[in-house]
Amino acid sequence: MKTTTSGTSWFGGLKAFFFAEQSPYGLALVRMFLTSVALVPMIRRFPRVRELFSSDGAPQQLAELFGQGRPLPELPPAFAAALYGVMIFALICGVFGFRTRMAFLIGTPLYLYFNLLDAVSTMTKYSVIASHMFLMLTLSNCGSVWSIDAILRRWKEGPAATAIPPRFPVWPARLIQMLFCFVYFGAAITKIQTQAFFSGEQMRYWMLSNWNYSNPFGEVLAMWTPVLLACGYFTVVWEITFPFLAWRPAGRYFALGVGILFHIMTWITLGLYIFPLICISGYLSFLMEDDIVAIRRFVHRLRIPTSLLGFPRFAIARMIEMRPQSVPSSILWIGLAVVVAVASAEADYRIDVYGIRRNNGPLALQKIDSREALAMINNPKPLREKDKFFSFDIGNMMVGGQLGNRRNTFEFGDTIIAHCNINPPHEDMWVDCVVEDSDGRIVDSSGQYVTREQLFANFNYDAGNKLVPGEYWMVLKSSGNEVARRPFTLTGDPQSLPTMSDFVTN
Amino acid sequence: MQIRRMASGLFILAYLMCLAWGVGAHALKVGLAGNTTSYFCVWDMFCGWQAYDNRTRIIGEDSNGNYYAVEEPWGAFTPFGNVARVNYDVSNNMISRHIKNVLDHSQHAGIDRVYVVQEIWPKQFNVPDRLWSHYFHEPKDKTSYYNLRAICDASGMPVESYPDWFNAQTLNGIADNPRLQRAAERATPYYNTFFNPSELKAQRSTFRSSADGLNTN
Repeated sequence: MKTTTSGTSWFGGLKAFFFAEQSPYGLALVRMFLTSVALVPMIRRFPRVRELFSSDGAPQQLAELFGQGRPLPELPPAFAAALYGVMIFALICGVFGFRTRMAFLIGTPLYLYFNLLDAVSTMTKYSVIASHMFLMLTLSNCGSVWSIDAILRRWKEGPAATAIPPRFPVWPARLIQMLFCFVYFGAAITKIQTQAFFSGEQMRYWMLSNWNYSNPFGEVLAMWTPVLLACGYFTVVWEITFPFLAWRPAGRYFALGVGILFHIMTWITLGLYIFPLICISGYLSFLMEDDIVAIRRFVHRLRIPTSLLGFPRFAIARMIEMRPQSVPSSILWIGLAVVVAVASAEADYRIDVYGIRRNNGPLALQKIDSREALAMINNPKPLREKDKFFSFDIGNMMVGGQLGNRRNTFEFGDTIIAHCNINPPHEDMWVDCVVEDSDGRIVDSSGQYVTREQLFANFNYDAGNKLVPGEYWMVLKSSGNEVARRPFTLTGDPQSLPTMSDFVTN
Repeated sequence: MQIRRMASGLFILAYLMCLAWGVGAHALKVGLAGNTTSYFCVWDMFCGWQAYDNRTRIIGEDSNGNYYAVEEPWGAFTPFGNVARVNYDVSNNMISRHIKNVLDHSQHAGIDRVYVVQEIWPKQFNVPDRLWSHYFHEPKDKTSYYNLRAICDASGMPVESYPDWFNAQTLNGIADNPRLQRAAERATPYYNTFFNPSELKAQRSTFRSSADGLNTN
């Protein structure tokens, strides 16, 4: 009997979790923000439709990367441009909520189609996350509030219109929330499986890659590997705990708050612009009816004129209402889509991306000097020893196997840690660390094998009291060649320590 | 209403199963190869970064021995920053179409051969000068290494292909071992026992990494 009760309550809880009815304000916010953000890269690509997405360019279908050929049709440029224009129009209608369901029914497959056509420069993981959310928006009733559709319906119903917002099952919002749980959990698994993530090297190399937008703060942070290591641990812990906290009354503030911070940091340190905005837009699905009421009360208390936010919706709704009453709004939508399609095809023709009409013929390829060309073609140059090393520093504190500080002044009795980071892939190497005095005389040396899987090597030099106070150099050598050298000063009184034997330096 | 709720329930179940499959398959590394749909369920956003930066240089040669930069004369598309689109094609899947597209839409003498070259440099040289002077004490003398990846005809079809620089470095590091070389020589039969015509055909038609370069047969 007890089992039956607990089973029923478990099922009841699940039912309430997915099928409780609420006004879809959170989803309406996702509809507006996510779609606006997803439109940015797509609008940027509009002048390049011919080159990226048509049979007259160089599309690269995602399926090709998986060895599954080209399953999608590659359309002639005029048709591709027309469809692309319809996609942008449909998504803009989605933002404002004009024939919302139809807008997403058309916009979502087109968004997916164009992303799948260009796996090199359009399809990314943020497009995948956006596609998942577009699917949920298509299936949801996100257009029933804060939309042109809602305004038109209210005007149509006239005095009979009720002030109570419509309510629908919350499962589309729940699925978006669960999507993020899976995304973060999967991302944590990836990090756990990635060699060198937990020593900070991977993050460092990412921050120094110029594949994304500018990230000056990331470049500075890349010089502090222990900080990256700590951030890496914190990120993985947050990603794994996200699903367990996201629906807890207090835990969700932590999970979502850290999530927002994390995505802002990816923008600052990695130069990602669209990805964080897509994810933060998705977080709006966590806003339930009660949250919206609380936010509204708070905004009302601050006397912020929120009615202005609805101005564009009302303005467009008024324009739509100017149509002849015999024309349904869906026909108007289709008519506008056709106009946009024709205009897009014309725009593609006029943009003339290859510059053929503009220049009365194709543009010429740039000639290059034959010596320069041959230097690139026939250049089996071996790596310089110094290019195998990322950095060489000295200090006296280790954090997670990495040098935690950089110092150039030491006292007798200190342990000087010489630390070098090595760029993979590299062969098994013999690396020396040599102490030289200010006249270049070798005072001491130590060597070790650095095998191919090692990403860093440390040399601990016990300063003891063998040396006299003064200026010295710590020199890094690989295969007998000097790679780098760092100066350091030894200060203090050597007599303060007991005399050391001759052979205990390293 | 009941049917609608049931349909919603089934959709929820199917959707969650897809997401769970993606995470499970990714964690256990099962059933993902050659599967386009896995891209929509597997969340491998941080799958490793190289220590060396690389760019793709494409050089065309005409019958008179003149060389041309096979780059879009109308301006390359830079999808995420200031790096041209072709550089994001890390596995060189798009190279053939890219070459054909550039040559089809540009003016040039008849091109005989097109060389696809990988330019490589250590990533520490991406550090801005102000940071370099603060954290590195050596002069910033960046050197690029060039690695020929393929020779193509004017339609972009690969005629010859060579290993990727990263794979070549790894393999050289492993192969630079006399004991291993002797073992490989001893284990290699005089006759090729694993000849596979379909694999040979695939090697001719597309770029392949040399990850299987350790196979002595």
